[in-house]
Amino acid sequence: MTLDSNLTNPVAMARTRWASAGGWLTILVVLVALPTLFSGNAMVSTLSYLGTMAIFALSYNVLLGQTGLLSLGHGTFFGLGGFIATHAVLHMADAGMNFPLPLIPAIGGIGALLLGTFGGWLAAGRGGMPFAMITLGLAELVYAAATLFPSIYGSEEGISMDRMDLGNAFGLSYGPNVDIYIIVAVWFMISAAALYYLTRTPLGLLTNAVRDNGERVEFLGFSARRVRLSAYAIAAGFAGVAGSLAALNFEIITINELGAGTSTLVLLMTYIGGTKHFFGPVLGAIVIGLMKVWLSDISPAWMMYFGLLFIFVVMVAPTGLAGILAAGLELMRSGRLRPQLPLLLAIGATGGLVFAGVIILVEMGYRVGLDAALGPQITVLGLPLVATAIWSWALGFALVFGGSFGLRPLLDRLATLRHSLGAEPTGVAA
Amino acid sequence: MTKALELSNLRKSFGSVEIIRGVNLALRQGERHALIGPNGAGKSTLFHLISGRITPTSGSIRFGGAEIGGKPPAEICRLGLSRSFQITNIFPQMSVLENLRCAVLWKLGHRYSLARPIAKMADVAAECDRLLDELTLAHRRHDSADSLSYPEQRALELGLAVASGAHTLLLDEPMAGMSHSETDAALQLIMKVTEGKTLLMVEHDMGVIFEMADRISVLVYGEIIATGTPAEIRANRAVQEAYLGTSEEETSQ
Repeated sequence: MTLDSNLTNPVAMARTRWASAGGWLTILVVLVALPTLFSGNAMVSTLSYLGTMAIFALSYNVLLGQTGLLSLGHGTFFGLGGFIATHAVLHMADAGMNFPLPLIPAIGGIGALLLGTFGGWLAAGRGGMPFAMITLGLAELVYAAATLFPSIYGSEEGISMDRMDLGNAFGLSYGPNVDIYIIVAVWFMISAAALYYLTRTPLGLLTNAVRDNGERVEFLGFSARRVRLSAYAIAAGFAGVAGSLAALNFEIITINELGAGTSTLVLLMTYIGGTKHFFGPVLGAIVIGLMKVWLSDISPAWMMYFGLLFIFVVMVAPTGLAGILAAGLELMRSGRLRPQLPLLLAIGATGGLVFAGVIILVEMGYRVGLDAALGPQITVLGLPLVATAIWSWALGFALVFGGSFGLRPLLDRLATLRHSLGAEPTGVAA
Repeated sequence: MTKALELSNLRKSFGSVEIIRGVNLALRQGERHALIGPNGAGKSTLFHLISGRITPTSGSIRFGGAEIGGKPPAEICRLGLSRSFQITNIFPQMSVLENLRCAVLWKLGHRYSLARPIAKMADVAAECDRLLDELTLAHRRHDSADSLSYPEQRALELGLAVASGAHTLLLDEPMAGMSHSETDAALQLIMKVTEGKTLLMVEHDMGVIFEMADRISVLVYGEIIATGTPAEIRANRAVQEAYLGTSEEETSQ
């Protein structure tokens, strides 16, 4: 989190202020432009889903990136927020109240904030392993308890509502998906701005201090527990906002939303996006969200790619997609790109071959396994393959192993070249 | 004479092993007090007891008239007693400036505030600028703490203890692992930033101790065997036998 600096130079200070204002303006423009670029009904619903997940991932990074806390139960607050929002809509509609729908996420958020404060009170005593285990335990506890109350949490089919029941507000009926997108976009701006602001406050600085060295914080007069508790509660609150938005978008919420799957999803999105950059989790939410929506249509193996991407990021690029992006931009700005370009292209091409090989193997694996009934003929990446033929498998393995062997010397040469250029090894560990 | 810190009959056992065996020690207001003793004498354990990292088995630690034995570190720090660590204990991923900001937040009353961005707090900025100058780390303010050289990290370590605004400081081997020239610079720095404060310091370098300490206490096997001025300690037979005998030559070099 290198966003903040106590610059003494007023010109530099003004420049950062303008750069930061420009950044927020860009986000706003993109948010406004998106539904006109992707205007189909399903498309807009997908955009709403991505925005929701982006808020969810940003909230999770308050714990993971900022405070260094690995929560295994963040999905709990997403789900609880969703249920609170759903019941709020149902009850207020029953009572004939005219509560504006766009403010429903505030109710879900505050509810989750309060529950998060209680959860944090239980979990925040220590960081590290005990924290992870307690959050996992709490999540399982909530999930198990929720199954006991089908009247509140619904049974298998969940609880549904009609978002139009609360009537019009702010001149919108909230029937069309684009109306919901507007709610999501506004809440995204509010949440991102609030969480960004948090990173600049004393509490935000203290969360970083607890991440770096929880014990030393105590010797400076602060309670590390209180910092962890605050971070946990704030993260829970914004997860609740995200859960409420998801409930409004889909008009249904099931008990699965507060289960382990949701907690895993947000962990993957945040980590893959990059925990060291403020907007990294947003990138992760978009990429993983799109994979979930589109890839699941194209391939039965989408979960597998999900896992492979996660392993790739953990092993090769621990700063995440945002880290790769930042390293790329830095490379272009430093003017060291030109001499490295041929090598980088060669590495990209070879890596692409490995990637293609992996896809071929995975797809054929599914075809001989789960989807054997569809027959052995399969087209992968435009190649007509036969899932039962040795040559098809040989092609896949040849790409994977050949590419991997080819990659090693290329990466070595890149490292040597960078060393001679005097550049710091950045982003992708070469 | 007012006592800044008073330990009486302080004991600490780990299981059946007694590490601190009835320590009595009184620090005068504003004095520089050195704690010496052979390895394993319990110097660091004593520091951990005073600073609240561990809880005494029995005995009392009185600081400014209040009993602090067994209190959590944060509370002890707020009362005005802070410490540095033998093994550098800073916030490695944060910048030097951010490290110091954390340390000054409590005494300036901002605590866990969400009211304003920290960069807009003029008092924090002024105090951090003053500390950066004093620690001669101003040119490193935006560098991450783990990119600092070893003496710079030690200076920051000291700076965190000083920045918290405490009037009593426990410094655990602030010069450990430094070369001769680095030690001289570090000593100057310590003398400068602890001006007017009460100081209890563990140190092995006898030259440093005899130069800076008003009084010296000698801890051997969990007991204070002597307390006195540097001259008295030099002349003390028990100390010579227990400890100084081997170091006397180093001192005269």
